[in-house]
Amino acid sequence: MTLQQPALPATAVARPARRRDRGRLFQEIGMLAPAVVLLTIFLVVPFLLSFWTAMTNQPLVPRPTPVRFIGLTNFLRILKDDLFWTSLWNVSRFTFWVIPVQCGLAFATALLLHQKLPFRNVFRGMFFLPAITSMVVVCVIWGTLFQYPTGPLNQILGFLSAGRIQPIDWLGDPNWAMFSIVLLSAWQAYGFQMIVYLAGLQGIPDELYDAARIDGANAFQRFWHVTMPGLRPTHVFVLVITTIQAFKLYTQVAVLTQGGPKSSTETVVHYMVRTGFEEQKLGLASAVSVILFLIVLVIALLQRQLLRRFDV
Amino acid sequence: MGKRLLQALVASAALGVVMAHAEARTVIQVMHQGDPGWVTTYGDVAKRFEAANPDVDVELIYAPHDAYNEKFSAAVMSKQLPDVMELDAPFLANYVWSGYLQPIKPLIDKDILDDMTESNIAQGTYPIDKDLYAVGLTDSSVVLYGNRKYLEAIGARIPKGVDDAWTREEFEGYLGKLSKLEGVKWPIDTFRGYGIKTEWITYAYGPILQSAGCDLIDRKTWKSVGTLDSDPCVEALTMMQTWVKNGWVVPQSSGTNQFFAEGHPAALAFGGHWIYAEAAATMKDDIVVMPLPKFGPKGASPNGTWIWGITTASEHPDIAGKFVSFMLKDKQYRDYAREDSAYPGLKSFAADSPLYSAGGPMAVAFEQASKTAIARPPHPAYPAITSAFMGAVDEIFNGGDVKAALTAAAEKIDEDIEENDGYPPFDEQQ
Repeated sequence: MTLQQPALPATAVARPARRRDRGRLFQEIGMLAPAVVLLTIFLVVPFLLSFWTAMTNQPLVPRPTPVRFIGLTNFLRILKDDLFWTSLWNVSRFTFWVIPVQCGLAFATALLLHQKLPFRNVFRGMFFLPAITSMVVVCVIWGTLFQYPTGPLNQILGFLSAGRIQPIDWLGDPNWAMFSIVLLSAWQAYGFQMIVYLAGLQGIPDELYDAARIDGANAFQRFWHVTMPGLRPTHVFVLVITTIQAFKLYTQVAVLTQGGPKSSTETVVHYMVRTGFEEQKLGLASAVSVILFLIVLVIALLQRQLLRRFDV
Repeated sequence: MGKRLLQALVASAALGVVMAHAEARTVIQVMHQGDPGWVTTYGDVAKRFEAANPDVDVELIYAPHDAYNEKFSAAVMSKQLPDVMELDAPFLANYVWSGYLQPIKPLIDKDILDDMTESNIAQGTYPIDKDLYAVGLTDSSVVLYGNRKYLEAIGARIPKGVDDAWTREEFEGYLGKLSKLEGVKWPIDTFRGYGIKTEWITYAYGPILQSAGCDLIDRKTWKSVGTLDSDPCVEALTMMQTWVKNGWVVPQSSGTNQFFAEGHPAALAFGGHWIYAEAAATMKDDIVVMPLPKFGPKGASPNGTWIWGITTASEHPDIAGKFVSFMLKDKQYRDYAREDSAYPGLKSFAADSPLYSAGGPMAVAFEQASKTAIARPPHPAYPAITSAFMGAVDEIFNGGDVKAALTAAAEKIDEDIEENDGYPPFDEQQ
């Protein structure tokens, strides 16, 4: 996929060209400058600042007591806090469940909507609707659906099983709460992955399918030997994006369970917001954010390495 | 042409006058929380205040109460503190210690200060300088509501007053009997539906600890280890955990009105004074108001509510004070508060609140205030105290180890105090 640059004869790159190069260099710097300046101010500086804050006892709001440099105390305290490890475990659980559900759902609908159905675009729009609905709104609605013991979801289950399935305390039972959040999260967000898959599917040339058909491949064989290899980059992209999103799980927890019951839905970001805003320990919260950054970085690098091995 | 020009001139002159006028007006920002009915009421008070003081604009800033402190911190950080702010009483020490509030006595009408009840003064007073920093129309309490039909069915004794409150044995015996009674789905609603972040846990369940003979934190040494994780506290929360395990308590995900909802699925309610109006409207004569049970050597009940303070950032503290005085005297505001069964914090308001006067249906709540009310710890570490305790209770109600959860919470509280060098001058208070 690398672009081959036509090699210029060495003699053509003589002195006059170098001056032109310098001119172009200034031009390039000039064009880059706005983006670089903005990224520096709003991304790089805050990022470095959070490293610095993480090593102080900085409170959220000014206090009469002095701010001190306390080295790695914050990091040690987090690593000693059981709640942090619980939250990390919870996010891992969430990620492990939400990826197959969400990506599977997205892939299946994308395949379906790639067919030449009547009103295809209307259906595409409908399936995409949850993704453009605010997560908070989705949470409030699902919160009602999940209500125990008389919420709609429990009533439907009871009706379908003729009363054999007892009402489930979806959000109040530590064994169910995270699963409930997986369900609603996957439902809300799969539209984005679906669009990515649709784009991927459209990027596979029809000639390949025609050729496969001429070779006598059946529908499954066409799917397995043409569609799947053609979607490899898409799979990688979707997997990486979904993992990173999953690690940032916050809104659903903040709206529905506040980390409960029994810390079963506490997540790293929720833990960070709680230490930072509720307990007003900005230094400690910054340390959490630095740790989260390192974790996400490692995961992203690992995924890249692993998938590169599969020749993507 | 000439006429048009004239018109334009007149218009721009008029605009200039209006703008000059607008600049001359003083703007008072008022930050508040509240249910929709209260928000409307505040809006109306502001309009009446503006009508009475044409040179003042009142700008209301609404922040929902479950994220109120977060919103307030954001205002502090962006240096956009309002002039007047509503605040939850237990957070007062933290705000005054941090330097956000100014003494309110010189700014408020004297007749209001003289009108305040003991508990109202207590909730607005900062323990270090004993000065008053906030004032409210109301205070609050929690009582035990009962459904008369169910209580008669099990032959329960109905206490006459606070001295007569149920003991722990009586209370748990009734819960057991109620759990077997036809029509009762849950013996008690402790309003877990308010969630684990809304202060309800510390406010309402904290007194159970005090009744059992311990506390969130030692109020002399300001140490939590040795108090919150002491045996009486472990015992008290083990008791509550057992109620939950027995299926006696309305679960958190079942909302907050199982006591007075259709069919009355919950027989008792460990509920705030504010649910009385709504519950009584649907249950009529079936509602019984009782004092909180005695879980140990003495009775205890919560107090403290949302009250009004004036910030140090205010450029017009006198006008801010004028607004607070105006509001507390406003007749429609008081009428709404009375309809909402608000708990009086001013004597004159108590006098025309038949609900709370002797012989009134909520008289027992007023009696509790003078006999058993215990404020939440007035210490600047309160945000850390309540956050740690709420976490522990959630853990315990969901089957966690009681001792371990309370120990962790106590350690977290002490850690916060240590980290802030003991919140001087509180460290010298011992």
